[in-house]
Amino acid sequence: MTKGATATSNIYLPHLVTIEDVRDEAPDIRTFRLVFKDEAHREAFDFKAGQFALYSAFGLGESTFCVASSPTRKGYVECTFRRTGRVTGALAELSVGDTMGFRGPYGNWFPIDEWKGKNLVFVAGGIALPPVRSVIWNCLDRRADFGDITIVYGAKTVEDLVYKHELAEWDAMADVNLVQTVDPGGETDDWKGEVGFVPTVLEEAAPKPENTIAVMCGPPIMIKFSLQSLEKLGFSPDNVYTTLENKMKCGVGKCGRCNVGDIYICKEGPVYTATEVKKMYNDF
Amino acid sequence: MVYKPVTSAGEVESDYIVPGNSFKEFLFPQTEPVASFTIGSEVSGGGVELRDVKIDPPETVIFGSRPCDAASVASLRSVFTWDFVDEFYTKREDRATVITVTCTRGDESCFCTEVGLSPESPDGSDVLLRETDKGDYIVETLTDKGRAFVEKHKSVFEAKSEGKPKKLFEPDKLEVDLEKVGEWLKDKENYESPLWAELARKCIGCGACTFSCPTCHCFDITDEGVYSEGERRKNWDACQFDHFTLHASGHNPRDTQYKRWRNRFMCKFNFYPEKFSSKGCVGCGRCIRVCPVRLDITEVMEAISKA
Repeated sequence: MTKGATATSNIYLPHLVTIEDVRDEAPDIRTFRLVFKDEAHREAFDFKAGQFALYSAFGLGESTFCVASSPTRKGYVECTFRRTGRVTGALAELSVGDTMGFRGPYGNWFPIDEWKGKNLVFVAGGIALPPVRSVIWNCLDRRADFGDITIVYGAKTVEDLVYKHELAEWDAMADVNLVQTVDPGGETDDWKGEVGFVPTVLEEAAPKPENTIAVMCGPPIMIKFSLQSLEKLGFSPDNVYTTLENKMKCGVGKCGRCNVGDIYICKEGPVYTATEVKKMYNDF
Repeated sequence: MVYKPVTSAGEVESDYIVPGNSFKEFLFPQTEPVASFTIGSEVSGGGVELRDVKIDPPETVIFGSRPCDAASVASLRSVFTWDFVDEFYTKREDRATVITVTCTRGDESCFCTEVGLSPESPDGSDVLLRETDKGDYIVETLTDKGRAFVEKHKSVFEAKSEGKPKKLFEPDKLEVDLEKVGEWLKDKENYESPLWAELARKCIGCGACTFSCPTCHCFDITDEGVYSEGERRKNWDACQFDHFTLHASGHNPRDTQYKRWRNRFMCKFNFYPEKFSSKGCVGCGRCIRVCPVRLDITEVMEAISKA
């Protein structure tokens, strides 16, 4: 399912992109809207929800994030990242009009076309909402193709919730059931959402497993527990999808860093069903 | 004794077991630029000028390779051409002619026969030379590249050898059942076996085994330079280093050294043969010779054979 080699023969050469918009999402978490400098590439560029890319701060290096925007929104790509290290620290210093690098899209994707006519449940924790957000908007932009849509999203604190304006937008949609939660102690006086960890809140929300696809992303510990919760709710592991955003450096199956046992996440992933995850070595 | 560029025949040695380095560094250099950039006001629009690196390697002859090293070329190629083609590697390999000399000497670290090779394996060689008791070589050409090379340098190769081939080295027979090792590794239950921590407890994570290994291919991509001007480079890296799989979040799937060592062993004897149908280990023995704590990969192969 991997997208083949890019037009250039140098597989490590990024494309230049301009930062068109910067949005602060949460403390140290920021979204960039990026536009390719090369007009022809901007027109030709395509990707699928779930794919990832390498983003360059020239002079400091590259970091891997999923593409956070939906492929239905043409002309730009968005990434959301947390300032944690050297590269993300440098990216966080950039502003509108600045140039950075984009290499991708890489990896496989969520098979959205196969989900036509099904109900959808999205489960995400903290900074893991961006890959799921790409799928959510992709599905909302073709709303008639799907049944009920439930989103369960949690973060440590109210402040740490990303895409707050979009959460409000989803909350206001009559045909979307949004359940928001924060970890115990992370609530504020005016918090109207749930208080509790994502897997627990997910079990309480109890989405029906019949004819339903679950899409889930979070830190490794949340993935492990949410998979158990979905199983308890009666979801078949074949209908549960997750994306394993392992440490990646080359993105193209060469640098040898992202493997989970014999599986190279960058080439054979990052999107897997729970059935596939269960078969993996305990190495992520 | 090392593989290194030479400018005269006098610099070429013949009395060695295996060179200290493998020749992978001439196909996949320890460090090489993949792009260069200029940042700042001198660039139009005040942005970034990004320049491609076109790789145009010279014709190279690897003379005096050993059969184990020659066999490693197929393993490197399988990784560097898996879907995406890394031309930095393939162009160098395409222009390299490998002339191998079969092994009449060896030491207790050599174990090529345990991984299905031998002191006269032809795998990966373009020309195979056998030393004779008269001090010359019997020449066998194995590929078009090798035939073309011998044809082009006829004057060097045309003298007829009068001698008999020297006796080849015979590595010690170990108690290794490679098929059993492969099967044991495939069983996911064994991934959590206490054997791993026990066998790899000595490992200090120095990475010497991976850097000297002819088949290890892992690398990092980093930017180097001054504020306004720099290069993006591929640099050798090693799965034995603790930062190798460290996530930005602080989570590290291989957070202790035995897990990193397990990964290296799994890579060589499970992932490579399964995934690429090529050898992850060619039995050159460098990892044994360079290990500062004498962690011997063959002892692990033997232990798993008996598990």
